[in-house]
Amino acid sequence: MEATIAIAIGVLFGSGVWLILRPRSFQVLTGLLLMSYAVNLFIFIMGRLWVNMPPLTVESGAPDPAAYADPLPQALVLTAIVIGFATTALYLVLMIGSRSVTGTDHVDGKETDQ
Amino acid sequence: MMQALVIIPFIGSLIAACLPANARNREAWLAGSVALCGLLITCWLYLRVGDGEVVRYQLQWLPAYGLNVSLRMDGLAWLFAMLIQGIGLLVVLYARYYMSPKDPVPRFFAFLLAFMGSMLGIVLSGNLIQLVIFWELTSITSFLLIGYWHHRIDARRGARMAFTVTAAGGLCLLAGVLLLGHIVGSYELDQVLAAGELVRNHDWYTAVLALVALGALTKSAQFPFHFWLSHAMAAPTPVSAYLHSATMVKAGVFLLTRLWPVLSGTPEWFWMIAGAGICTLLLGSFYAIFQHDLKGLLAYSTISHLGLITALLGFGTPLGVVAAIFHILNHAIFKASLFMAAGILDHETGTRDMRLLRGLYHVLPITATLAIVASASMAGVPLLNGFLSKEMFFAETTAVGGRDDWWMSVAAVAMGIFSVTYSLRFISVFFGKFTDELTVTPHEPPHWMRFPVELLVMLCLVVGIVPALSVEPFLDRAVVAVLAEQAPYYDLAVWHGFNLPFLMSLVALVGGILFYIVLRRYYSLSNSDKVPFLHRINAAKLYDHNMGRLYQMSALAVEWLGTVRLQPQLMWIVIALVAVCLVVIPWALVPLPALGDGDLAFAVMWVIGALCAVAAAWQAKYHRLAALLFVGGTGIVTAMTFLWLSAPDLALTQLMVETVTTVLILLGLRWLPPRLLPQGRQGGLGIAAVRRSRDLLIAVGAGAVMTVLSYWALTRGTTQTIADFFLLRARSEGGGSNVVNVLLVDFRAFDTFGEITVLGIVALTVYALLRRFRPAPESAALPQQQLDPTDAAIHQTPAEHADSGYLAIPAVYLRFLLPFMVMAAVYFFMRGHNLPGGGFVAGLIFAVAMIAQYMLAGATWVEARLPLDPHRWLSWGLGLAALTGLGAWLFGHPFLTSHTAHVTLPVFGELHLPSAFLFDLGVFMVVVGATMLILVALSHQTMRSHRVPAGAAVPERSS
Amino acid sequence: MTLDWSQHLIVAPVLVPLLVAALLVPLNETRHQVKFLINAGAVAVQFGIALMLVSMTDGGHWQDGIGVYLAANWAAPFGIALVVDRLAALMLLLTALLAACALLYSMMRWSRIGVHFHSLFQFMLMGLNGAFLTHDLFNLFVFFEVMLAASYGLLLHGYNLKRIRAGMQFIAVNLVASLMFLIGLALIYAAAGTLNMADLAMRLEGLGGDQLALLKVGAGVLAIAFLVKSAMWPLGFWLPITYAAASPPVAAMFVLMTKVGVYVVLRLWLLLFSSDSHGAASFGADVLLWGGMATIVFGAAGMLASDRHGDLAGYGAIMSSGTLLALIGLGESGVVGAALFYLLSSTLGMGAFMLLIELVERSRNPVEAMLSLTREAFEFEETPDQPVGVGIPAALAFIGLSFGACALVITGLPPLSGFVAKFSVFHALLAGEVRGVGLAVMGLVILSGLAAIIALMRFGVRTFWASGAINARMHLSEVVPVSLLLFLCVFLTLRAGPMLEYLERTSATLHQPQLYAQRVLAEPAVMSASAQQARSDG
Repeated sequence: MEATIAIAIGVLFGSGVWLILRPRSFQVLTGLLLMSYAVNLFIFIMGRLWVNMPPLTVESGAPDPAAYADPLPQALVLTAIVIGFATTALYLVLMIGSRSVTGTDHVDGKETDQ
Repeated sequence: MMQALVIIPFIGSLIAACLPANARNREAWLAGSVALCGLLITCWLYLRVGDGEVVRYQLQWLPAYGLNVSLRMDGLAWLFAMLIQGIGLLVVLYARYYMSPKDPVPRFFAFLLAFMGSMLGIVLSGNLIQLVIFWELTSITSFLLIGYWHHRIDARRGARMAFTVTAAGGLCLLAGVLLLGHIVGSYELDQVLAAGELVRNHDWYTAVLALVALGALTKSAQFPFHFWLSHAMAAPTPVSAYLHSATMVKAGVFLLTRLWPVLSGTPEWFWMIAGAGICTLLLGSFYAIFQHDLKGLLAYSTISHLGLITALLGFGTPLGVVAAIFHILNHAIFKASLFMAAGILDHETGTRDMRLLRGLYHVLPITATLAIVASASMAGVPLLNGFLSKEMFFAETTAVGGRDDWWMSVAAVAMGIFSVTYSLRFISVFFGKFTDELTVTPHEPPHWMRFPVELLVMLCLVVGIVPALSVEPFLDRAVVAVLAEQAPYYDLAVWHGFNLPFLMSLVALVGGILFYIVLRRYYSLSNSDKVPFLHRINAAKLYDHNMGRLYQMSALAVEWLGTVRLQPQLMWIVIALVAVCLVVIPWALVPLPALGDGDLAFAVMWVIGALCAVAAAWQAKYHRLAALLFVGGTGIVTAMTFLWLSAPDLALTQLMVETVTTVLILLGLRWLPPRLLPQGRQGGLGIAAVRRSRDLLIAVGAGAVMTVLSYWALTRGTTQTIADFFLLRARSEGGGSNVVNVLLVDFRAFDTFGEITVLGIVALTVYALLRRFRPAPESAALPQQQLDPTDAAIHQTPAEHADSGYLAIPAVYLRFLLPFMVMAAVYFFMRGHNLPGGGFVAGLIFAVAMIAQYMLAGATWVEARLPLDPHRWLSWGLGLAALTGLGAWLFGHPFLTSHTAHVTLPVFGELHLPSAFLFDLGVFMVVVGATMLILVALSHQTMRSHRVPAGAAVPERSS
Repeated sequence: MTLDWSQHLIVAPVLVPLLVAALLVPLNETRHQVKFLINAGAVAVQFGIALMLVSMTDGGHWQDGIGVYLAANWAAPFGIALVVDRLAALMLLLTALLAACALLYSMMRWSRIGVHFHSLFQFMLMGLNGAFLTHDLFNLFVFFEVMLAASYGLLLHGYNLKRIRAGMQFIAVNLVASLMFLIGLALIYAAAGTLNMADLAMRLEGLGGDQLALLKVGAGVLAIAFLVKSAMWPLGFWLPITYAAASPPVAAMFVLMTKVGVYVVLRLWLLLFSSDSHGAASFGADVLLWGGMATIVFGAAGMLASDRHGDLAGYGAIMSSGTLLALIGLGESGVVGAALFYLLSSTLGMGAFMLLIELVERSRNPVEAMLSLTREAFEFEETPDQPVGVGIPAALAFIGLSFGACALVITGLPPLSGFVAKFSVFHALLAGEVRGVGLAVMGLVILSGLAAIIALMRFGVRTFWASGAINARMHLSEVVPVSLLLFLCVFLTLRAGPMLEYLERTSATLHQPQLYAQRVLAEPAVMSASAQQARSDG
């Protein structure tokens, strides 16, 4: 399982990197999306992998920490997801604006001879 | 008392700057009185300096760094102070008449006074760093003075050249002084002067000497830095008379004299200083002969005389120092008078070109006489002050050079010959028949304009005839100040008997006259444009060339080292990531992956996820929609992973975010330019292929690095984290069993607080961006698919689509669904504290419910029916969250501390209302507000775009 | 037991701007007078708070001059701790000052070329203040995002082609940098199991081999994010473009944003890697050193190569942050105080320059400028007419003088604060045991100063002398901020002694990580009966 998730993160991140190195703003946008998935997963697994141990201390009595997943990375990822969502939206709108002002969807706002 | 000397000129400068532009007389009076009262103070101070006392003044500034305001006046400083202010006074008087009434003199006198103050600062400094400060100040003020007529290109050029050279020298000096201070352990002049031995034996001595010498030589226009001086002649003549006789250029030799006891007496010193001096005096005097501009000639003669002084100092003998100081004095006197005389000629005749000027004696008898006497002194004619010091120079060369270094004496005599020659050249303008080529008829200047010249020439005579009575005591003080106990015996008699130096002077005189005659006869001086033999040594050209090179090189460097494009920048960041990992990861510790473990379903799920990612990367250029769907697929898999790995909250959030993001992007896709797959696309040839493979390499590398990091972090031994704390206290103290949610609204509520702020900011930015956004014309029109005239839909508004059009049936469902979705939002919100959910998820669900309505019936319809002002939601949400946090203050608790209110309602019975609940409500409102704001702004583009006249066939829609 | 009101001052610099911004959002744009006044009032309040915090940290109000505030009342390292020490207080003060000037400058024109300027402005202040105060890595990330999001908005404020292009770059670069930030801090959490900086510093000693290695990787990746902010070569190419595009007041605030990167590097690096009690001592110092030196070279070359005012300013900023990075990288405790003085001086000078260049541009006579360029290129000698100077109108004189002053501060020529800063740095470099690399840095700084002199002189001469600058029309609200900032530089120069003593105390505190550990981790959460009650039955 560790190997799987690790490879998955690598693939996501790699494809994201490939995309952000492309010249078209939409490619960069999708690249950023993929990379943020990878990074969110990365933060998440820093709290180790736990199956069927959600950090919901519902049953009464003092909870046993060993029986639950590490909640902190989850909280961090939650915040990260929200911020990622916001910035993605911003970049999207900027992409549209740039296309309308500069007349191209090249990331530099002008067609370079690349 | 002494500090007044330095302060008054600057105050005067400020006042001068404030006077009106036409106040010529007031300015002159002001500047004059400043100089005068400075003089008086200095004279008064002689009472103390006269009997060998060193007057000191200290003021704390940076004690910890050994930098204090520290003034110090001994004989040398006193002599220079007198010189600076005396000549300054005369220059002011002269400038009053020289400057045209139309000139905005306030600026002029302000700069002049500031310059005078800085010069005084240099000579009176008791602290080397402070000396450097004033040193650079003279560079700055002289830059302003030289560039005073800044509408003339030669003035600008000269100013820039002078400033570049002298400021650079100043920086070297700073470095040198810092090293010196490090060696000695103090920047105070007294300590430094006392530590000569220590300095000369230190390893850094050569470096210190070189740096200090660079400072001094640049300032004193010594070879190879002499070129700036001749270009500085573009300055108004009073400025030249001041800067190049008594002050600016003298600062360099002053420094050499000041530090003579510390640095001199080593072969390095001799070769560096004396070498530069001798080269300069020869070159300068030779160049001077072939100038056509009066001031140009004087400029080069100045250079050569400074070379003479530098050489004297470089010899490192006590007598050399005596001669140097004496010549500093003499040169200041006769050169100032000569510059002023040249200025008068320029002023009266309108030109400084010696080829045009002839027989001026007939029209300007007095000025002519004065100028002739002064230049005789410059040539070193007996009974004039120039003669005395020059003879001392000859004596020194013979003494130091002796038999084996005979070339020194030869150089000295050659210099003497040349200086006689150029002096003759200078006075030649007075003889012959009066030229008639002049446009104006010159006549004697007003008496007060000539007065300074008269006074100075008088001094030349007095000093030249009775040196012992006139200057000896003052000179003596200065010499003692420098040499202390090793001050030599010397006498300033006019006649030392018939000895070698006198012979040399004689040779120089006769040789000079002969040389001049020869040149007149056989060389035709007047129409030679360039200096014979040496015209190739053109430092100014070299300077310009090098500056040009510098600009080009730096432009090249920026082009090579920098970029203005985005992709390389992102590439660098990724490369940095990879590099860090490659360097820092201890590869020995990283375990090899054991692929056997883990369950298959998970692996299969991720095979799909990974394929989606790769496919998205593959398709993003030509098939945006497909790419978007693939990305969505990856997102879903991610969400499932969260669920699988016991993070239900994350899964929920990820899912909702996924939805909203996809919708937003779908709304945005419409505005991107169409990009169709080029027919028979070349499979990436040449440079493109190279770039692609490079990027691919980087991408693979980055992915691999992340994989390694993840696997390593997952499989190494556990770390004691702070997580248990939260698990243990979430319910008991946080009042909720969903630890993640408690973390968000209680333990780390401050994060959430910032996070919703980010959301709000972005929404505002998006709104501000889209408010003025006009879609590109080609994408403003309706897409082709919607323009089919047979389709009834194109004649309907979105609202009509929903009510009676092809969307009627979905409309029923969606409108029916709305209340349920809202209820779902409420449900997730309420349970958030104990089970997966919470304000954020609820907000997104609510937003999605709204989006559905927008998509169904269009913005107009929706906003007509449920008016919600996203701005308000945003600001109230933020406010609510903040105020909830602030509520804790009332209980004397820190910001965001959670409390629980107990209310008993008739129906529900007792309710616990934790403040976290209110906080979460704030989150909810912000999320709704922000999402709606972005969404509405985007959807309004559609409406606006159709207002752009496009495809006339299309009827006006959704107005 | 309840909390002393003065404690709340620590969190106030974050709350005040937020509340004001939230209040300003629904306010109609047509009432910009009101908006401006509210905004200005808020800045004034923040200035007051910053002043109080400075006096409290330095006046022994808190032990060791370190004040701790436990947000949500959870003891560190579990909750989020805000920490104010001399450095943080000073940065808050600097922020408020610069903000006041930028805001005043924006009154007549710049605040009105788009919507929500004032809200975004306050949000940016919130982000900056939070970044200075927080002592928790992830919270630092959040406040960085607040700051950045606001800066995106302000950069695009009243957008045109130039700003859109710059925005595309600036935002993309910073988004990727933020991802690096996340990766880095995730690794650090995995290695050390905590996010609180002081706690981290304490745990460092106990970390095993692989944990330490993991932490190093994390720190390295984290550093990338900060170095992008502080524009270290080759991560800082966005800076000149962005600065040249942003509107003057925004550019002035950006000067501070670059310094935030340096600030964080300084704080974290000193906290984690300055002490040699663990295996990661002075980790990455060489990168900072050599990277900083490369940055200086790049900045100097840029200044020499650029003849447009915007680029000049941008490369100047690169140069100064390169200098700071190199000085930190030297790892000599004695230099830090002087380096901080340099930071203050260069920030103020750069800020003034950013505001000024727009006025300069206004007073520029484009046609004449072109002509003069060609004249210089081909060395046309104008016939020296009967020489008479040219009068200078008051406004132009002001611009010229201020330009000169800015140039002095930026290039480090006497007599203004720039020189004092450089001198004190050099002195500190030579005071310790002298290393060759130290001398190299010194020489490089001097040379870069020369380059700056040449570049600025060329620009100034061409603008004010050659091109017959025209008399610009200026509003008082544009004159005052520039003069104020320059006056502050003069003040720094005159009061350099006390100032440097204060900064020495600052750096002394920074060099004692255990001090932070003691104060931060020991700070008790407020426990009142009611709270107990509230929690137990929550």
